[in-house]
Amino acid sequence: MAVKGEVLIIDDDPDLCEAVRIALEEDGFAVRCASNGLQGLDMMREKRPDLVFLDVIMLTPTEGVYISQEMADDPNLRDLPVVMVTSITSSEYLGLFPTDTALHVDMFLSKPVSLSKFVEVANRFVRPQKR
Amino acid sequence: MIQWQAVEGEIPFETELIERIGWLIRLRWLAVAGTGIALSLGWLLYGQALALLPLAGTILAIALYNSQFYLYARTLQLSQAGLARLQQATRFACLQIVLDLLALSILLHFAGGIENPMALFFVFHIMIASILLSRRVSFLMATLGAVLFAAMAGFEYAGLLPHHPLPIVEGVALYRHGRYVLTVVGVMALTLWLVAYLTSSISVRLRQRDRELVESHRAILARSRELQAANERLRKIDAERTRFMTLVTHELRAPINTVHTCAELALTGYASPETVRDMLERIKRRTSELSELISDLLRLARAREEASRDEKVGVIQPADVLQSVVQLMKTEADSKDLFLSVDIDPDLPPVRANPDRLKLVWTNLLSNAIKYTEPGGIVAVALKRTDREVVGMVRDTGIGIPPEDLPRIFEEFYRAENARALCPVGTGVGLAIVQRIVENWGGKIWAESEPGLGSKFTFVLPRADL
Repeated sequence: MAVKGEVLIIDDDPDLCEAVRIALEEDGFAVRCASNGLQGLDMMREKRPDLVFLDVIMLTPTEGVYISQEMADDPNLRDLPVVMVTSITSSEYLGLFPTDTALHVDMFLSKPVSLSKFVEVANRFVRPQKR
Repeated sequence: MIQWQAVEGEIPFETELIERIGWLIRLRWLAVAGTGIALSLGWLLYGQALALLPLAGTILAIALYNSQFYLYARTLQLSQAGLARLQQATRFACLQIVLDLLALSILLHFAGGIENPMALFFVFHIMIASILLSRRVSFLMATLGAVLFAAMAGFEYAGLLPHHPLPIVEGVALYRHGRYVLTVVGVMALTLWLVAYLTSSISVRLRQRDRELVESHRAILARSRELQAANERLRKIDAERTRFMTLVTHELRAPINTVHTCAELALTGYASPETVRDMLERIKRRTSELSELISDLLRLARAREEASRDEKVGVIQPADVLQSVVQLMKTEADSKDLFLSVDIDPDLPPVRANPDRLKLVWTNLLSNAIKYTEPGGIVAVALKRTDREVVGMVRDTGIGIPPEDLPRIFEEFYRAENARALCPVGTGVGLAIVQRIVENWGGKIWAESEPGLGSKFTFVLPRADL
């Protein structure tokens, strides 16, 4: 099967990364995983993926927000689609979520997110590539 | 009436007395004006028949001392509230009444003596005395009034003082009638005592009621302050609890989401048997971690609860507890090829603690040291005495704690990044529990570390034998 494109998953939960990785690979995506935001930034700067799934609450309750802002400030990463995967909108951390700045985010997914949803969203954002 | 805002810090009736002194001074101005007008009218009607000069002089004297009183009352009002001021005000009120009684006697003497019906005005002075002053002083004032009146009438009767006849009773020398003088003086004395008795009876009761009111108001104020403080404490506890709940819900929800996703993958048609097995392994591990987290949360909840309630704390030998923990942990250290050194001071003083909880403190600190030290390293436990405390120490040659994480490691669910990397399993609650327990007993705990070289946890507990 032809590789559809590359997805980067940034999540501090290795088990979740693994399950999503398997599901996306099964659907034909290449997948890389980063266990924290800074590692994720390094990886996408090293090799630009086609889509980023970004967890919000990692080491700090809004680490994902910080990473998406870093991406917006980087000309090479600015137009890279970001899907924020978070329980923040339904959690008590909601108050910490910035409302004063426009977030560099293309879509929000509220946890728990089913694997089929991950696959569906990945297909929506990653355009078929000619190889 | 008592002014409520003046109640605090003042003696009941102090304010009242000072207010009434002001009122008395105002009344006296009225009296000065009234007697002035009466004198002018008398002079217009009777002219020379009136002892104009002494009467006018007395009224002037009253006006003079009243202006002095007015000034003094103002300084009194401004001075520091308290017992000293209350005594000052009382003496001041006594002086005024004595002077008033004297002034009234002099006025009467120069205006017909016993023949002047204004002698009844003594009643007002005694009323005022009874309102302002204690019952005993009121009777003294009544007696003084009676004595002054009797002296005036007696001296005039005996011819020791000249009689200044009142023009309205011309031709009748009542002051020379012994039985009449005696009767009037007797009735006057009796009237004054009765007035003192009746008025002070009422005012004593009113004062009692005021005192009760002031006391209950004070009690209410004190109570409301207590309630305010308690409210503030509860608010803080509630905020802390909310923060804690936020952490807990996230820490519980995240692994459940992951378990759900892993199960979902295992159930899909395309998952290979290896993938299914792997996912099931992950689910098993995560659920056991979750269960461990819940146990930790319960322990933490217990430690928190014990902070507000007396747990079973006794005087115990800290060395015994450490020995039993070391025995338990020795196998764990051995299996990781760690050297476990134990250094316990002989004849340690006892501490006030709960043996099970102290065991938990040592176990948590020791298992951390073992967990974060690479095979071949050293874990050293020591229990020492100082003048006032017993000091426990756990040192290791492990991965250490980065300086930026060091201040936060006692926070609930907080785990240093290198700790997460080395050992993904862990709730981040252990040190929070340890800190709670140690602080519950009046102790302290702190950590020092150099990344890569090792960490040292020290806790102190106050000696129980001091």
